[in-house]
Amino acid sequence: MRLYDIVVLVTPDLNDEDAAKVAAEYKKVLTDGGATVVKEEPWGKRRLAFPIHRKRDAHYFYWQVDAAPAAVAEAERRMGLSDQVLRHLAVRVDEELKRSAKMAERLRKKAAKRPPRPAPATPPAESGSAAERSES
Amino acid sequence: MRMGGGGGRSGGRGGAGRDGKGGPRKKFFVRRRKVCKFCAEKIEYIDWKDIKLLQGFIPERGKILPRRISGTCALHQRKLQTAIKRARSIALLPYATD
Repeated sequence: MRLYDIVVLVTPDLNDEDAAKVAAEYKKVLTDGGATVVKEEPWGKRRLAFPIHRKRDAHYFYWQVDAAPAAVAEAERRMGLSDQVLRHLAVRVDEELKRSAKMAERLRKKAAKRPPRPAPATPPAESGSAAERSES
Repeated sequence: MRMGGGGGRSGGRGGAGRDGKGGPRKKFFVRRRKVCKFCAEKIEYIDWKDIKLLQGFIPERGKILPRRISGTCALHQRKLQTAIKRARSIALLPYATD
């Protein structure tokens, strides 16, 4: 099983409920294929950065699923056939997440190894920047 | 500009103070040292869904900000690049604007 980020854009012609129904169809394809949904976030109706099929916005649906490649491939195939889906994207994320976790770990160890570092005379000016970072 | 591999990364903060003393270098602008944002803030995973973060690297034209301007390190620029491209493919970010 692998972790995937999946995003589906559903036509704005449908109302919220119908769009959710369309999206749920694909979620069912995934879960039938043995996938478990880790995260689920309907992003709602969003403005597109550029028009797709003359549409200026779309219903966004996002899931993070732990799925077998075959299930994801099948869901993507069906999304491609549907007229109601403007775009879809499935990205495998587990390996990259693992790699970055490892990097973060290494940085932390490196920082712990050499604490006797002369502290800068003045505290760094930008302190609020860390707060900007939104959670993933 | 570059001060020896990984050492420069952490030494960035101290650099500004050193310039103020006017060390060996003479006729130089006091230029702010560029630091890779992702290294500085220890953002290891560049999430392609985090549009707020990515938008900082998209100038008006919609192109990807080159690293010579943003100061992002090679590793993070590469990751940033794929993240931006993914975000573009589902219309979170523009390919081009005019």
